[in-house]
Amino acid sequence: MLPPAVETRALGKSFGLVPVLLDVDLRVASGRAAVIIGGNGAGKSTLLAILAGVSAPSSGNALIFGQESHRLAADTRRNIAMLSHHSFLYPNLTALENLEFYASLYGVRNPHDAAYEWLTRVGLANFAGERVRRFSRGMEQRLAAARAMIAAPMLLLLDEPFGALDSAGVAIMTDLIRTELARGCAVVASAHAPMKFDGVDLDQYEIRRGRLIPLSDHAEPPRASRLRALLGRQNQ
Amino acid sequence: MTAFVAVLSKDLRLELRSGMSTIAMVALAMLVLVVLVFALNPGVARGPEAAAGALWIALVFAGMLGASRALLAENENACIRALLMSPIDRATLFAAKLAAAAIFMMVALAAGVVLTVLFFNLNFSGALVRLAPILVLGVIGFAALATLLAAISGRARGGELLLPLLIVPLFVPALIAGVRAAGAALSGAPMATARDWIGILIAFDVLFVTAGYLLFEHVIGEE
Amino acid sequence: MDKRLGNFLGAATLVLTAVSLWMVFAWVPTEAEQGIVQRIFYFHVPLAWVAFASFAIVAVAGIFYLWLGGQIWDDLGYAAAEIGMLFCTLMMVTGSLWAKPIWGTWWTWDSRLTTSFVLWLLYGGYLIMRAMLEESEQVARFAAVVGIVAALDVPVVIVSVRLWRTIHPAVLVTRQGGHGLEDPRMVVTLLVSITAFTLMFAWLLMTRLAVLRARTRSIELAKAIAMAEFRAGRA
Repeated sequence: MLPPAVETRALGKSFGLVPVLLDVDLRVASGRAAVIIGGNGAGKSTLLAILAGVSAPSSGNALIFGQESHRLAADTRRNIAMLSHHSFLYPNLTALENLEFYASLYGVRNPHDAAYEWLTRVGLANFAGERVRRFSRGMEQRLAAARAMIAAPMLLLLDEPFGALDSAGVAIMTDLIRTELARGCAVVASAHAPMKFDGVDLDQYEIRRGRLIPLSDHAEPPRASRLRALLGRQNQ
Repeated sequence: MTAFVAVLSKDLRLELRSGMSTIAMVALAMLVLVVLVFALNPGVARGPEAAAGALWIALVFAGMLGASRALLAENENACIRALLMSPIDRATLFAAKLAAAAIFMMVALAAGVVLTVLFFNLNFSGALVRLAPILVLGVIGFAALATLLAAISGRARGGELLLPLLIVPLFVPALIAGVRAAGAALSGAPMATARDWIGILIAFDVLFVTAGYLLFEHVIGEE
Repeated sequence: MDKRLGNFLGAATLVLTAVSLWMVFAWVPTEAEQGIVQRIFYFHVPLAWVAFASFAIVAVAGIFYLWLGGQIWDDLGYAAAEIGMLFCTLMMVTGSLWAKPIWGTWWTWDSRLTTSFVLWLLYGGYLIMRAMLEESEQVARFAAVVGIVAALDVPVVIVSVRLWRTIHPAVLVTRQGGHGLEDPRMVVTLLVSITAFTLMFAWLLMTRLAVLRARTRSIELAKAIAMAEFRAGRA
């Protein structure tokens, strides 16, 4: 059986003396979407950074497709993508060049064609030759989304994906997420408030004082045992 | 390999578009040479030996400015995080950044050589052909150290002081060897006399490119 | 166990240093060529040996830290750097004191003094880097890398400086000092002195290391307390 996209066990993270995350048990299988809710500074971005493999856990572990998150193999990293309020785009490169660069980096075949295809999908084909520094915020975010998806990730990490999007952007983003989930991609998204997706089953959690608390219609004790998490998630 | 090429060509393309790093480095190299010319009397500071020294001084100062920028430019829009998340090997990333820094430095240094020939009463002759590989060796060693250490100094508040503080003592052997070899090249002496110096430069480069390649993963990355 | 070893080292250092001082100032014969000043040699050489050896310790500690983890390796590296810096400074000072009467200037760029100066700069850079990055979680890794790189540099510095100074000898002749010890008493004095300084280094290192480890432990305790409060304050 393939390991789940995300599995954390008693994951903890402290910065210096200050604990931010504590005893986080999270399991996200392929094709499932988990939403992590919390206020500013709750630790949502910290958790996503750990799942992305750029920040190491202070205690416990985070397994991404079965591998330790801070020691991911190149092949595993190929399958992970992130969208955050940082655009990860080079302002002095054109939209096309940005996408081509990341496509080559991720070993996408025919990076040029893939780049064009994705520019069209996010409605930026007309701006392929424009430098990103001239883009509006909305355009930048659409390009950032294309950047994330271009390598067909199997785990998508979204840091407040609907943060500053206009309604057109929200529609595109929602569509993308739905398509990715249908592909079997796992999604972990952070948000300020619970999300709702038509036709998509979301596993919602809240970070309360460092702990990850599942939110659902069924009453769940704050610290679900690992076994229950294993069985429970499948049934929701 | 593709990843190396992708990152390097991306950096070169960006530099061609803005040219900020190279222009700054050329300017600094020129300023260093100008200061030397005015600070040292014409009787003292002319000829191949003085020129060699001046050129290496320019290399060190312009290098410090430019070599770190190849790495620290990734901080804009958190692109460094995107690179760290990507499949690229940390060591390969080091190699790409090193190559970019070295290329920028060599371009700046080419301008520096022209100015040195003019300021220090030399000739545009075959000596410059013999000089080129020596400067290349120096640039590679410097860029290796700078790329590795810039990742550290970039983290410190006031890190601009830290980079020169760490690099200069480390670079001393290459500086000693490089100036003597360059002096030999410019004065038309047979290169056999500079053989030991060139040997030191090569050893220096091999040592620190390898060290950087192996150690880079420990200095790049978030908390 | 630590304390007993520490006390033993301290006592041994005291005894051997006393013996060494007596030997250097009272027992060993004066060297023919340089006169009384030459006695500095019996301090300068051990100091040099320790300064260089300490740097090796910094690098090896760095390697172990990166390879095995464990804060103790970082503490060891830091302690060795601090003590090494002290001995390196003393080495340069004694070298300078030796140079003045022999050559009439306080400093000369002969190969040994130059190399020790570069070593001193490397130590200094390491320590300043540690000071500037103290708050960072990653300071131990950075220090390990810098220590390793600096240690790799030292042999190249030695070779290049020696080549430089032999091809371009200083106006003043390079001192031969250190070799050609005619009298066996000189050899004995030197060996005793080396042993004394090595013990002194070991003792200082142990003491400093104990302080750093205590600091590490107190930080760990503080973290544990913060964690417990965090857990308890919110059930």
